[in-house]
Amino acid sequence: MGEETTSLGSIHISPTAVATIAYHATLESYGVVGLAPKNIAEGLAHTITREPTRGVSVNYDGDNVDIEINIVVEYGTRIASVANSVANTVRYHVEKALGLRVNSINVHVAGLRVSDTD
Amino acid sequence: MVVDSPETQKRLEKFRKAPMDGQALKRLVEAGLTWLRTNQQTVNALNVFPVPDGDTGTNMVLTMQSAYNEISELGHRSVDDMAAAISQGALMGARGNSGVILSQLWRGFSRGLQGQEVLDGPGLVKAFAQARDTAYKGVVRPVEGTILTVAKDIAAETEAGLKPEHDAIHVLEMAVKAAAASVERTPELLPVLKQAGVVDSGGMGLHVILEGMLRHIYGQSLDTPVASVQPLSAMDFESAMQEVEEGQDFEVVVDFYPEGELNLQSFYGKLEEMGTSIQVGEGEGMYRMHIHVPLENRYLPIDYVMDIGTITKVAMENLVAQMDEIDQKAKGDYFELTNVEPGQIAVVTVSPGPGLSRIFASLGVAAIVEGGQTMNPSTQEILAAFENLPTDKVIILPNNKNIVMAANQAKEVTVKNVQVVPSRNIPQGLSALLALDPDGDVEAVAEKMNRSLDLVKAGEITVATRSVEIDGVRCEQGEVITLLDGKLVGSAKSVEDACLRMLEKAGAKDLELITMFYGEDLNATEANRISDKVRKAYPDQEIEIQDGGQPHYQFIISVE
Repeated sequence: MGEETTSLGSIHISPTAVATIAYHATLESYGVVGLAPKNIAEGLAHTITREPTRGVSVNYDGDNVDIEINIVVEYGTRIASVANSVANTVRYHVEKALGLRVNSINVHVAGLRVSDTD
Repeated sequence: MVVDSPETQKRLEKFRKAPMDGQALKRLVEAGLTWLRTNQQTVNALNVFPVPDGDTGTNMVLTMQSAYNEISELGHRSVDDMAAAISQGALMGARGNSGVILSQLWRGFSRGLQGQEVLDGPGLVKAFAQARDTAYKGVVRPVEGTILTVAKDIAAETEAGLKPEHDAIHVLEMAVKAAAASVERTPELLPVLKQAGVVDSGGMGLHVILEGMLRHIYGQSLDTPVASVQPLSAMDFESAMQEVEEGQDFEVVVDFYPEGELNLQSFYGKLEEMGTSIQVGEGEGMYRMHIHVPLENRYLPIDYVMDIGTITKVAMENLVAQMDEIDQKAKGDYFELTNVEPGQIAVVTVSPGPGLSRIFASLGVAAIVEGGQTMNPSTQEILAAFENLPTDKVIILPNNKNIVMAANQAKEVTVKNVQVVPSRNIPQGLSALLALDPDGDVEAVAEKMNRSLDLVKAGEITVATRSVEIDGVRCEQGEVITLLDGKLVGSAKSVEDACLRMLEKAGAKDLELITMFYGEDLNATEANRISDKVRKAYPDQEIEIQDGGQPHYQFIISVE
């Protein structure tokens, strides 16, 4: 994906690279305490390969990048705002780093973490 | 901060005698909010991306406002109950990243005060520590050099500095000092701040809130951003217009070069004796001063500035006449939205300015939500715009990439059949509207609109609020910058150069129609002059010029 031809050859950007950027951007977003694998199979695969893209999937149809992120949010934060800033942060970082246009970012709140009781 | 005046001392004594209960905390929160609102523009101006993004200051004000709304009517005596209510209010209204963190800080703060009737020194230290702990729990990889670091430094300094004889006011004084120092250090911790030459906006916001509380205790004014100099581009005379007071008939703006170092404290002090709505800006050694004064004082500021420096320019406006003009203009903003019949498709669109709203309305839009780059409407606001329309078929045009999300959320929570056509800018929104068939099938029409989005190129011309380098393009503060389809593509010294540059980048030579929507910063004459230049450069293209009325963007240009 993200193919570009220069005088020296061509540059390919793989969906995994995009996913890695999205993954790190997500973890730096406030309110996110983790990413969740989409399903058991993906969870297992990532445990074995240790690829840093757990909970992020990237789709590329030739023009647009679509990103799905499964997050775990800290209990007690405003979830809509947190999810919103994840989408904004990820979009900003991916577009800045790769110059690719991000078509959509879907943020799924897979769970909440209760780190203490009020 | 000056604390040695006799009045301040007397006020301090009075505060020390009364117990710091829930009601006192309420007044402190109100003061923090007021002071934050006063300095909102200054905080907003610290955003790292060089277009006016509105974010941090506005988001924090909205969050604090929600916290204060929650408690404004409460009669609780204990700080415990009051803090819990503040925390609840902040949570409900948390907007944006900085707002969420602020609400977490309040949550921890309130947890630290559990079981406390009144606020004392050790109690406040504990609350700051809890605020820090709770805030840090909300993120896996805390980024240092942000509001989190400032909260951490406040907690650490107050913990270390606490002495047995200290009361809550002593601790608050320590906290404000620690916050100020911490904010100054943020560029050392976060390279992106250093590159942009600013301090962290969220950290600054937190400092301002605490400082507002302390200013309230000292009895200092919360209405004028005292002794602060902002970048010239951040000066906002429009908002000053909204607070014109009775008897303050003249607006005076003076540009000058001070002789030697300008003593801001005494400068502000003198100006405050003359009038209100004081703002001071600075850019490359040149200072600009703005003030509202009564008729008989209209020459005083000029005489005063003449004593301390060399005046290069003076502008004086009769505010009464100006206000009339604004009222007139507001009347001209009237437009008629399309009435939809049951079963027809209703289009809801987001518009940043009155002129654009009028154009949207003329193209058959059924509802308009005000908003745009600086003020993203919430899901609620979008929902409210179409909930009461008599039809079930709705298409939303967000016209801004930051609003697409809210539009999609509105779709999730309604029972109506809503399609979101993700237009990322005004030209895309207008282009999509041309595909509207109110009696068609809603999915098919949305699909058609989707396809028309990329038929148009969108240019935006605005002024950089600060020097920065992004995507390999360098721009200086105050320069006119050009965005094409949301990307920074160049900077120029004048608006017309920026327009020509943008059109060149967009490949306008090979296209047919150029439509230019001029913003509220330009008048019709100015806009026509620029469009004439464009006409000369592109004789084969058809060029249209429209009053868009949008804030911040001198031009929004559509090329198709």
